[in-house]
Amino acid sequence: MSETEKEAGRTGIKCLEIDDEDYPDLLRKISDPPKKLYCAGDMKLLEKETIAVVGSRKVTEYGEKTAYKLGRILSEAGAAVVSGLARGADSAAHRGALEGEGGAIGVMGCGIDICYPASNIRLWEKVRDTGLLLSEYPPGTKAAKYMFPRRNRIISGLCRAVIVVEAGIHSGSLITAELAAEQGRTVYAVPGNIDRVSSFGSNKLIRDGATPLLLLTDVLEDLGMTGRKDAAGDEKYDQLGPDEKKIIDAVSRLGELSVDQICAETGMHPWTVNGIVTVLEMKGFLHVYMGRVFTEQ
Amino acid sequence: MLTKIITASLWGIDADLVTVETDAHPGLPALNIVGLADITIKEAKDRIRPAVMNSGFRFPGNRITVNLSPAATRKEGSHFDLPVALGLLLLQEGAPAENAPGWGVLGELSLDGQVLPVTGALPMAIGMRKSGIKKIMVPEGNAEEVSIVKDISVYPVESLREAYMIYTGQVYAGRIARRDTASRKTCGKSEPDYADVAGQENVKRAVTIAAAGAHGLLMMGSPGVGKTMIASRMPGIMPDLDYEGALTLTQIYSVAGRLSEKKQIIRGRPFIAPHTTITKAGLMGGGLKPKPGAVSLAHEGILFLDEFGEFDGKLLDMLRQPMEEGKIAISRGGRNAVFPCSFMLVAASNPCKCGYLGDPKHECTCTPGQIDSYRSRFSGPLMDRIDLHVKVEAVEERDLGRKTKGLSTPEMKEMVAGARVLQRKRQKARLNGELEPAELKKYCPLGEEERKFMEKAYSSLGLSMRVYHKIIKVSRTIADLAGESEISVSHIAEALQYRGLESIYHR
Repeated sequence: MSETEKEAGRTGIKCLEIDDEDYPDLLRKISDPPKKLYCAGDMKLLEKETIAVVGSRKVTEYGEKTAYKLGRILSEAGAAVVSGLARGADSAAHRGALEGEGGAIGVMGCGIDICYPASNIRLWEKVRDTGLLLSEYPPGTKAAKYMFPRRNRIISGLCRAVIVVEAGIHSGSLITAELAAEQGRTVYAVPGNIDRVSSFGSNKLIRDGATPLLLLTDVLEDLGMTGRKDAAGDEKYDQLGPDEKKIIDAVSRLGELSVDQICAETGMHPWTVNGIVTVLEMKGFLHVYMGRVFTEQ
Repeated sequence: MLTKIITASLWGIDADLVTVETDAHPGLPALNIVGLADITIKEAKDRIRPAVMNSGFRFPGNRITVNLSPAATRKEGSHFDLPVALGLLLLQEGAPAENAPGWGVLGELSLDGQVLPVTGALPMAIGMRKSGIKKIMVPEGNAEEVSIVKDISVYPVESLREAYMIYTGQVYAGRIARRDTASRKTCGKSEPDYADVAGQENVKRAVTIAAAGAHGLLMMGSPGVGKTMIASRMPGIMPDLDYEGALTLTQIYSVAGRLSEKKQIIRGRPFIAPHTTITKAGLMGGGLKPKPGAVSLAHEGILFLDEFGEFDGKLLDMLRQPMEEGKIAISRGGRNAVFPCSFMLVAASNPCKCGYLGDPKHECTCTPGQIDSYRSRFSGPLMDRIDLHVKVEAVEERDLGRKTKGLSTPEMKEMVAGARVLQRKRQKARLNGELEPAELKKYCPLGEEERKFMEKAYSSLGLSMRVYHKIIKVSRTIADLAGESEISVSHIAEALQYRGLESIYHR
């Protein structure tokens, strides 16, 4: 055992060798599997169905929401969600995954004991404490640009399916998708608005043969899993007042709306709409970002 | 032989009485002015000689000393020309030893003997009025400005000869008509109206609340969505300026030299939009002889800080104290000049460096780091004074002229006026936005249900403690706009939509 490995053992970091029994089978079979895999956290997550959710670091509200919802739905269905702990879509997917029982697996592009980006510290700690962190780099290795694309082969290698939520023209998640395809994984892409540069990469994947994700639960069906029915949500909806339903329906029908658009749609006054939107935010039906109202469901 | 003429000297927007003493005695012909006079006054002697001679009088041939009393305070301004020249003429022409009592005189002279308008005429007239002077001789160009002072007679003069004749009582029937305050012109018809701002009802609602309760307002929005257009219409929905307000404001503008012959009285609420490169002195006021800054020019009106994020942070922090006190003191030479500055702060900004964060039509090109650093500019003590935050959206063509009818300026003005009446009844001179945290319990109590709602909002929306007071104040104003005496859940719910940057950048 080398010095760094001894040090690792002391701090709760385990090191899996490629011929260890616990080493993930799927990963072992790719063309250049990491010889060593440093792990910190709940190793049992590796035994679950693992699905990767990746996307651009700079996501729009749509991408962020979708990544979060995917993370949550997959995790609630019992799958472990694998992503790269980067800003944007990765973080959103992890956050969603932490909500369910499936859990989150973060594959780091640096030493496992270093939080990169540093601003993600809270999420990183949470994944370490309740999920699982993985890295092929020995603890203490600082992040360098070339490491992240290499790291992506582990993300796709660990999973049977890879979902690209939102990717721009040069997004790193396109690399993940490419590697996944080489490794024989199913690649899904979330279709985006064709006017947006931020969706260009993910839309291009669809053109190149990736499966467009029409319903978030499509993946579960394809992998033979069942999602959790949110009956409680429907019941909560039924208890709402007519004005509240009117606003939710308008937002679900038309996608994101500004308060003025909701007023125009429903014929209500801004003061009424603003009050109701707050209440619906508190009840978890809607949320507001940058002056635009989105549905939470 | 000695003559005395009363005039005034400015300090801030106040004025002290100054006596111009003129004495002739034998010696080489000379004109000496003493009494801490600045260069403008020293130069006056070279203006006065031709002015006197061109008006058909003879310039005295003996040695003349002019003393500006009290001699120990600094004096500045061209308005000493006329009193000094009058003093000389009284000596020369041997006017009655009994100098006309009760006169105050101001005016600059041109070389041909014309009397030119001066800056600060109104505050000087008010200062003289306070010292018991009731007859004030001013340049024709300042007549309307000074005429708004109650209890004085204004004698506008156009030339030195006319001034001399009136002062010595040789002309009674001349131009001694006192201007009355009655000449109030109604504001021009072409005032911009909120009806022109189509499809921005949400922002107009926030603007109405801000104007009703004197809350600071921050508008966040991409370039070109109409933030300036919305802000510049705000003075129009605020109640008309009362006499006292117009008087103070005109004083400030007079001292700042911002009045013109066409616009001698400020009757409308000001809208001041300083550029981001404004200096400290430009914003707060300053100068060797203190002059009002943008904050005072915006007194009783709107101070609009466009591109809020681009202003120097230190400068913005300085705004806090004058905002709380409604006045600013500028200390010069051991003396304070106090300028009033009760303005409403309206700020506008892009949400990020490129301006398109969250815009459905454009791509934001900022990096996450840039967004974080831009966002961090919206912190600090000044932000605590901004109760309402609202996102301004670009209006899409398909939304124009849809179901809801847009509010117009007169409608919004009426709503504001109604809400202000309720506030005055409840809390005297203070508006909701000006309440101190300690006063909130007294004026804005919450019922049991409302308190529970607030608690729930805190946990489910992840609010910070510092927005608590803002929400209460804004809820109070919303209740006042609805004409209700108690704050209810629906008022709080609406106020929460303007709760601050948390609702704009939620991450």
